[in-house]
Amino acid sequence: MGLGEFWNKLANPDRIPRIFALILGLFLVVGLLVPFSLNDDQIYPRPAPQEQMLDGDRIAPYDRGGEILQKPGITVAQYPCFSEKIGMINSYMSPIAYNIKENSPYFGTSIYSSPGGLIDEILYYTRGFDTILESTILMMSFVIASWLALNFTMNRKEEDD
Amino acid sequence: MDLGSLGGDLMGIVPLGDIVLYLTPLHLFMFIAVLTFTFLIAISRTETQVEASFGDLKDNELKVGLAEFKARRFLAIICGIATAGAMITGDLFNFILFVALTGVVNVGIVSAVKQIDVLDAAFQYGLIAMMASLPLFGGGAIILAATGTLSFFELAKFTSNSMVLFGSTLLLIGVAGETGIAPFFATKAEMFRTPGSPFILIIHLSSLFMIIRAIEILLVIIT
Repeated sequence: MGLGEFWNKLANPDRIPRIFALILGLFLVVGLLVPFSLNDDQIYPRPAPQEQMLDGDRIAPYDRGGEILQKPGITVAQYPCFSEKIGMINSYMSPIAYNIKENSPYFGTSIYSSPGGLIDEILYYTRGFDTILESTILMMSFVIASWLALNFTMNRKEEDD
Repeated sequence: MDLGSLGGDLMGIVPLGDIVLYLTPLHLFMFIAVLTFTFLIAISRTETQVEASFGDLKDNELKVGLAEFKARRFLAIICGIATAGAMITGDLFNFILFVALTGVVNVGIVSAVKQIDVLDAAFQYGLIAMMASLPLFGGGAIILAATGTLSFFELAKFTSNSMVLFGSTLLLIGVAGETGIAPFFATKAEMFRTPGSPFILIIHLSSLFMIIRAIEILLVIIT
């Protein structure tokens, strides 16, 4: 196959996702050969999940310790100078989440995943801008999808010719 | 590599918790250029394409309806703001989110056109954008695992190793797919054929600026 034929094949949009998938797949196979080693000096550390569960912690595996507005928990920020109150609201739980925690030792994950269940400082304080952007991406997807749904299904005008 | 060696002297930072935006002459120029273009788009109207028809003397005008015009303008402005944000961000994950946002919005701008070819190309681009989120976010995660940080100020100090190189290449594949550059450009090139300039142009402009910024970021991380 000549180079010209190859360029022509690249000009067809139907083939592009397949070419992309092929390149990505080949590169991921190469990734199996790359030596990986985790850098232990990570930002946002927390005790290992197994430790917390063996300790019988009721909100394992996400416990970061601390008391609300009294004692900071173990949130480590990249730039502590820009987040002065870090750790202070780390263990805030809504009344429902608090009651779940008091009554059963098995719902740690559910408490965190319920809205308003527990304030995670990394989401809302140190990396709050990322959370705003993430929800903006979701909102834009819904804007596009609902606009299309409104204009092409519900309010669809009959084509005049 | 030192942050200043590519963009010029550090003029200031905008701290938002751990996400620190920073300004150098290069980034400030790109930021203002994108915002200016976005403003020009926001106050302009769409072009009308005129198709000459064979066999008679009529011209066929392709116009964009008012509702579609408004939706496109809104999405084009969001796309411009996201591109401008990516120009001055100082955090890797933040940049990745900006790239993902422009990818979604780019599909949205052409999602309501009438031409079947354009819709087909937009669909193919959407497929790539979906697939590209794996290398995009995966590359960021691997760089975080290898260096332990996401801030460019800290990443600039790290000496590169094979894991960082792999993560960076993965990130480059992700950005290339999401912005639709060279080998994957055919889908985007077809998307421009619909009437609706200048809103269509922000698709092109955002990918140009994003790829410049992505290469600068990769240089900061690797070297």
